Amino acid sequence: MIQRLLPFATLVALFVGLAIASPHFLTGPNLSTVIRQTTVINIMALGMTLIIISGGIDLSVGSILAFGGFMGTLAMRKGYSVPVAIAIGIAAGTMCGLLNGTLITRLRVNPFIVTLGTMGIYRGVTLLISNGLPVHEIPLKFAILGSGTDIFGIPIVLWILLVCAVAMHVVLEHTRLGRYAFSIGSNPDAAFYAGIPVAFHVTSVYAIAGGLTGLSGMIEASRLMSGQPTAGQGYELQAIAAVVIGGGSLRGGEGSVLGTLVGAFIMGLLSDGSDLLGINPYWQPIIIGTVIILAVWLDELRKRRGVS
Amino acid sequence: MLLELASIQKRFGGVTALRNGNCIVKAGEVHLLMGENGAGKSTLMKIVAGMISPDSGEMRFRGEPVRFRNPAEAAQSGIAMVHQESLLAPHLSVAENIFLGREGRHPLGWIRRREIEARARRLIERHTFPLQAEALVGKLSPAGKQMVEICRAVEQGPSLLIFDEPTSSLTESETREVFRIVQELRLREVGVIYITHRLEELRAIGDRVTILRDGETVHSCMLNELSTDQLIQHMVGREVNSLYRREPLPPGDEMLRVTGLTSEPLLKDISFTVRAGEIVGMAGLIGAGRTELCRALFGIDPIDSGEVQVGGKTVRIRTPRDAVRAGIALVPEDRQRAGLATGLAIAPNVTMASLRSVCSMGFLKLRSERLLTTEQGTRLRLKYDGPAQLARRLSGGNQQKVVIAKWLVTGARVLLFDEPTRGVDVGAKMEVFETMDQLARSGAAILMMSSEMAEIQAVADRVLVMRQGRLAGELPRGASQEDILRLAAFEEKVPQ
Repeated sequence: MIQRLLPFATLVALFVGLAIASPHFLTGPNLSTVIRQTTVINIMALGMTLIIISGGIDLSVGSILAFGGFMGTLAMRKGYSVPVAIAIGIAAGTMCGLLNGTLITRLRVNPFIVTLGTMGIYRGVTLLISNGLPVHEIPLKFAILGSGTDIFGIPIVLWILLVCAVAMHVVLEHTRLGRYAFSIGSNPDAAFYAGIPVAFHVTSVYAIAGGLTGLSGMIEASRLMSGQPTAGQGYELQAIAAVVIGGGSLRGGEGSVLGTLVGAFIMGLLSDGSDLLGINPYWQPIIIGTVIILAVWLDELRKRRGVS
Repeated sequence: MLLELASIQKRFGGVTALRNGNCIVKAGEVHLLMGENGAGKSTLMKIVAGMISPDSGEMRFRGEPVRFRNPAEAAQSGIAMVHQESLLAPHLSVAENIFLGREGRHPLGWIRRREIEARARRLIERHTFPLQAEALVGKLSPAGKQMVEICRAVEQGPSLLIFDEPTSSLTESETREVFRIVQELRLREVGVIYITHRLEELRAIGDRVTILRDGETVHSCMLNELSTDQLIQHMVGREVNSLYRREPLPPGDEMLRVTGLTSEPLLKDISFTVRAGEIVGMAGLIGAGRTELCRALFGIDPIDSGEVQVGGKTVRIRTPRDAVRAGIALVPEDRQRAGLATGLAIAPNVTMASLRSVCSMGFLKLRSERLLTTEQGTRLRLKYDGPAQLARRLSGGNQQKVVIAKWLVTGARVLLFDEPTRGVDVGAKMEVFETMDQLARSGAAILMMSSEMAEIQAVADRVLVMRQGRLAGELPRGASQEDILRLAAFEEKVPQ
């Protein structure tokens, strides 16, 4: 129970600590920046939650983000409208996830290896298509997606995150797909013996996560107002960290949307805090890496104590 | 006294596994440790073997107070344990596993593979186990792994050896071999602690018995001072018929017909039928192909030729999904691995194979799921806290009931039970039998694979016997264990 509450306690402690340590923390512009910066990781992490619950992992999300964002902005340069371009970005991400899922289930290769491979492949494809050059020819109103004005005092990206989070929560707790993800992650053999179409659902899980990552790619492109083929490098680390810090188990069968949100905001605050306090940004990956190991260690401790 | 345990206590989180564990074992005696699942037998023995440390209490070994921090310390003092669940390295050979950690000290850490294999081979031959020293442990059946565990423990030359249900996956002849090893150890003045659920085993080997109930030692005495019924009473604290006898039913329509089923490499030309209301027992030695038959009928292993009919209709079964759709259910031998998602709550386990029935448009109806779960829980007399309780917190017998419940809600008409009472205590065993009987009465056709002949005698209407991947013969209800064994093992080779 204490360990279940630990992420929340950490988040609150970080929040209070930063509010005391820096006069700039509790200001509208700063908090809005934290939210905008965290949302990209957060939406990716929602998809990652689904994948990790089903017992998988996706290392290619950083590359999918770049591919989705690039394809969407490319569509705008070719003259497609903003909504269509966003749809194209999401579709591109979905296709990548679909390919991941298909490779994992058809070839029966470990998801770690498959997505390690596609991490390189998707990045390479993006670089090839773009020739390494970003897309800058984007209609100005596309900026609304990432840095748009507030609705009821809340940034648009936060609305998008809320909708995605609620939807993912409903999928996990109230739909067959979510239940099958838990079953497959908890015991793949039992799921297969129960007649669950395991391959279909695993593939769906990766496709959904890919779509969410494509959406993240479009938000990232909107924030930068360019389609960067090198975007999203190292984001997989943060997305996985958010899930794991929030109580997701890399052994599958455990995880929640609320936990992942808390995990992502903990990392957002860590990053914002080090900016505000003037800590060398090169410390950030070190801190995140340490926090991942710490979170998994605590999870293992809890499991060891629970099993008689 | 070889071993003295006094007021041992152990808690796991909020659960008290042991509140007052007492036991005294002499050298050269076979000491039976009895009790239902969850009584605390395994916890007590894991404490003795150094796998977990007690919260309080006293433990003396050869008169000296001891407290082991790990299994290696216990092993050094001369305590070895044969575990119920295999603790072996699947990628290493039988020989390497037997000598794992005791390969002999070479200055460069070099392993003398030939020497180890030769020693392993001698050991295996001495016990006449059907093992090969070079075989990979991962490829062995549960019984094979158990034999490797036994070899490994005996090889250490311990002064106290603990067996945790060593024969639950073994056939009768393999069991006799284990008994022979136990007798041999007794003559060498080794103390043996033996945990078992099989009543018929007790008299054959035990000297003294200690009975645990709800984490407490309730009785300890010489075995011949105690009748079997008294023993069971101490274990469960209530009256139980020591032998279950099923009332046969007039069989109904033919539900399952298997014709000429062949599944390489083991199963060849198997034909039989099971009728509604019938429980057919399938006997045979380990490796005869009973589990393989289950796997083929359930679509896990491919069927190379032959026909399967369910309810008069020919079905093609290529995946478990096809089998489930055809109305076939499998309660698998290895419950933890294949039957149950132990990390999930009870309700998701119960509805796992029939989630569509509590779904509309892909959305779960959680209320109906809870209702369905409590309904099944009442029907099967499940002992649980509620549908949201984690499946891993249940005892073995109750876990088995959850697996059965999963198939009851699918409305499966052909039920395959592969060793349904393995690792299940006496009281729950009766309930598993009663559940099977109840299922048969409601029109199910049941095929039960079992290594325990007494079990087959008690429950089955007919007995099919398998040998070397073929059907060796069929015996009527009331067939003697000798008849079954003769078909399973001793009759001349099956004509090719």
